[in-house]
Amino acid sequence: MVRTSERFPGVEWVGDTGVFIKIDEKRCTGCGNCIKVCLGCCFEIEKKLARIKSLDECMECASCWYVCGEGAIDFAWPPGGTGYRSDWG
Amino acid sequence: MMQQEYDVVVIGAGFGGPVAAKKCADAGLKTLMLERSENPGEKVISGLTIPVYGFLFGPSFIRDGNPPIERPVDGIRNYVIYNIKAEDIEIVEMRIPRPLSPIFAFGYNAYCKPFCTWEAEQAVKAGAELRTCTTAIDVIREDGCIKGIVTDRGEQIRSKIVINCEGSQGMLAVKAGIRGKYPPQAISLADTYDYECPKEVIDRVFGHTLRFCWGFDELKIAPPLGHGNGLMAWPYRNSIHWMQDQCLAMDDGQVPNLRRLFDEYHENITTQLPWWRDEIAPSVKLRARMWEGFGIYVGLDDKLRNMPNFTDGMILAGDVAGLESTGLCDGVPTAWFSADIAADVAIEAIKASDSSAKFLERYNRRIKAHSITQWAITNRGRWNLRKAQESHDRKELRARINYQFGPGILTHAGTPLVKSMLREIRKDPLVMRKWARMFLRYYYNWEHDCSSQNKLPGRHKKKGSIGIGLAILDSLVIVFSPINWAIACLLEPLAGAVNLLIIAFRPVVELGLRAGIKMEPLFDPFCRWMIDSVKQADPSIFVSGSSGRFRGQPHKARVFPS
Repeated sequence: MVRTSERFPGVEWVGDTGVFIKIDEKRCTGCGNCIKVCLGCCFEIEKKLARIKSLDECMECASCWYVCGEGAIDFAWPPGGTGYRSDWG
Repeated sequence: MMQQEYDVVVIGAGFGGPVAAKKCADAGLKTLMLERSENPGEKVISGLTIPVYGFLFGPSFIRDGNPPIERPVDGIRNYVIYNIKAEDIEIVEMRIPRPLSPIFAFGYNAYCKPFCTWEAEQAVKAGAELRTCTTAIDVIREDGCIKGIVTDRGEQIRSKIVINCEGSQGMLAVKAGIRGKYPPQAISLADTYDYECPKEVIDRVFGHTLRFCWGFDELKIAPPLGHGNGLMAWPYRNSIHWMQDQCLAMDDGQVPNLRRLFDEYHENITTQLPWWRDEIAPSVKLRARMWEGFGIYVGLDDKLRNMPNFTDGMILAGDVAGLESTGLCDGVPTAWFSADIAADVAIEAIKASDSSAKFLERYNRRIKAHSITQWAITNRGRWNLRKAQESHDRKELRARINYQFGPGILTHAGTPLVKSMLREIRKDPLVMRKWARMFLRYYYNWEHDCSSQNKLPGRHKKKGSIGIGLAILDSLVIVFSPINWAIACLLEPLAGAVNLLIIAFRPVVELGLRAGIKMEPLFDPFCRWMIDSVKQADPSIFVSGSSGRFRGQPHKARVFPS
């Protein structure tokens, strides 16, 4: 299974990554920092808390993990052979 | 679950991992390299000029090989933008003048995937096993010592040493408790574009020179709003790589809305910057857009810089060890240097049957003694550039850009480069023959697109003038090698004075560089003759050493065991 995106040409997303970014609702303050730095629009705010909207355009940069001062984001690499890839990096 | 045993497991087949894996395999160790993507380098995103010191002083198989490069680079042209609408723009340039340029390059541009694949192929040829589509998710720890890793498929792979080259985020190193998460102020997010562009347009507009742009915040034409880089444009063979990057948080911890700002910067600069708008935009087509975070300022903070780079049973090399350059912002040469040292230490540790932290501490000592690595990770030039932007002082901004990306770089890069050069000559007085051949081979490679999968290189028989020149160089280097060795031994301890000398004679040095560029037209016929001679030469004369004959074989992707 290979997916592409109109917004991000030249990149493919391969296989089933599963949910490799998780948000701890107890720690999330709804500050929205993860939304500000995520160029792939993976997050949204719902009921004043961040939640994963879609990881379809995630490029695994881990910026969300870095900017979460509360440690509410758990980031792990997706399974081997899945996720984004590009010939033009 | 089935257990597997190796001498060395290397995590990551990016730029550093294959260097460590090849050296361990060459030493006869049973070596496994793990890569989480399907093909090496396809998850690596960078605007990539690999500075020439990485090739000259790094792993010999890269220096003496034929890696896939996109374009030799002769320097940087900086556009200091004070007011873009009024086209109030100043140029600060630092480049190697013709006729030395473009053959004797300042660095080489490359796409990550073919380059990392080529490196991984060399490791596999040396006997290392490469397993792709495999993510290392945890370590095996016994009595406090790392004894291997656990993969995402639940396999336990045991090894005497693990060399971790996983990249800047360092998820495994954090999980294993060796390193911590960096603050967002130390991380830059690189928003990267790849534009197809006809080669003749790139040749005409860029030539072999990178273009960087810097501006004040309110112009919103190039990051950073906080720390980070401005706009950087890299000419490749038939494409332009284009990157804007900015730290994830400001000094006060505020996180800017990068999603919105990057779009704004990109729109503004591509429509207002005169040379892009008029000369490039009509000829380019966007081929790819992607991004990646990298540890831009890890080396500037004492606490971050001093995070452990080894533990019982594991050595960290490259970005995961916090070795990205804080000045030039590249991570490849330091990844090569550190992976090479990591392999040396792993080989010694296995020979001594001791993988304890006490034994592996020598890795840290060698990294700290490596002159280029330490210069690269402690340089504050780029960080200070931001202060000049905040001051809105034109003179200060120009001076800071000159210091970091203009001729001023010689005032702080001189000592580490000369020290490394003298060290290499001391180790091997004949190395100058290999350096000369490297420049010529890379240039031949580029001219004939030898790394392309589509074209075969020209078949030339002539040794020509270049062959005669190399023969003369060989004779001189061989005859004078005892003297060269003695001079290198004598001067190496004094190399610390090089920066001071350059500072003392800076006006003369800058005048010399400017005069060299002004006089270029005089040398153009000679430059063209040099290029033609290299292009038409028999490529076998560019082989370093006596083993093997360079045949300019096209780069070909291979299937790795998985």
